[in-house]
Amino acid sequence: MKNSQLYKGSLNTIIMKLLEENGKMYGYEITQKVKAITQGELNITEGALYPALHKLEAEGILDVEIEKVDNRMRKYYKLTEAGTKETVNRLAELEDFIRNMQSLVNPRPNLEF
Amino acid sequence: MKLTAQQIDQLFTFTRQHYVEWYDLQSELVDHLANAIESQWLENPKLTFDEALNAEFKKFGVFGFMDVVEKRQAVLDKKYNGLVWHHFKDFFGIPKIVLTLAMTFVLFTVIKLSDFKEWIFMGLFVALVVFSFYAMISNKKQRKKISKANQKKWLFEEIINHYGNLSVIATVPFNIMLQLLNNVPDLFTNNYWTVGMSFFLVLLSIAVFIIFKIIPRRTSEYLETTYPEYKLVNL
Repeated sequence: MKNSQLYKGSLNTIIMKLLEENGKMYGYEITQKVKAITQGELNITEGALYPALHKLEAEGILDVEIEKVDNRMRKYYKLTEAGTKETVNRLAELEDFIRNMQSLVNPRPNLEF
Repeated sequence: MKLTAQQIDQLFTFTRQHYVEWYDLQSELVDHLANAIESQWLENPKLTFDEALNAEFKKFGVFGFMDVVEKRQAVLDKKYNGLVWHHFKDFFGIPKIVLTLAMTFVLFTVIKLSDFKEWIFMGLFVALVVFSFYAMISNKKQRKKISKANQKKWLFEEIINHYGNLSVIATVPFNIMLQLLNNVPDLFTNNYWTVGMSFFLVLLSIAVFIIFKIIPRRTSEYLETTYPEYKLVNL
């Protein structure tokens, strides 16, 4: 992943947000979707994506579904009910973070003086 | 262009060669690689299967699939411990807690009234350890027979069969016991110590019973809830 240290903490939130919008998705689809949305700037590595998906599944945030597609099995991930609620919290948290970083990096001129 | 069934088989072999022994992980990685190869072909139809596969595999980094396997194992280890804990807590809810307390009380009374206190306690304790080892060995034998017939391995099944990291339960308490016997002279004459030791032995029996009996007996049930594909494959 590009600038992996910065993005690492947000990977789970990115996954949850995508699933919230798209219903169910499989691993490869997620990597492609992120690439498309960010116009190739953000590349989720496979070595980070699957561990994150498995962890979210174990935490009860995601549920899995299997479908037979072509001549292979496809594992779809989707948000559980608890996961949907958690997504709202995490997105709010991420938005706060973005806002705070923005004011730190780009402080607005202070007009009080 | 789509992958042929034969190429899918080749991908399964590829994951096996790269130390992914378990079907649950293999099938997910195979689908991932297959998708990736197919979309590479869309851009460059001249690529051979092997070239496309190697390019995709490189994206997993220098350790290949190891990261994915290790993290998956850690997640399932945790799930297993949670399962054991869930069963363990059962013995402290109504009505099983009556049984737990009754067993402690009976053991305490027997030790208190008997002239062979240490012998009774150590006898029961050794019986528990022997039972653990017996269960481990017979389970291993049985699995050997089955694994020849069925080639698909499931990671969570392996964790259940290796008892997570909890098989130490058969040996570690033994050392604690020896320490106590050597250092506490009134271990079986002081009432508090005796109650404590009785309770400890009951807790240990419950744990051994859960790990070596209850969970292995329900293995396929746990596999079905962990893997939606388990039923599909084992039809």
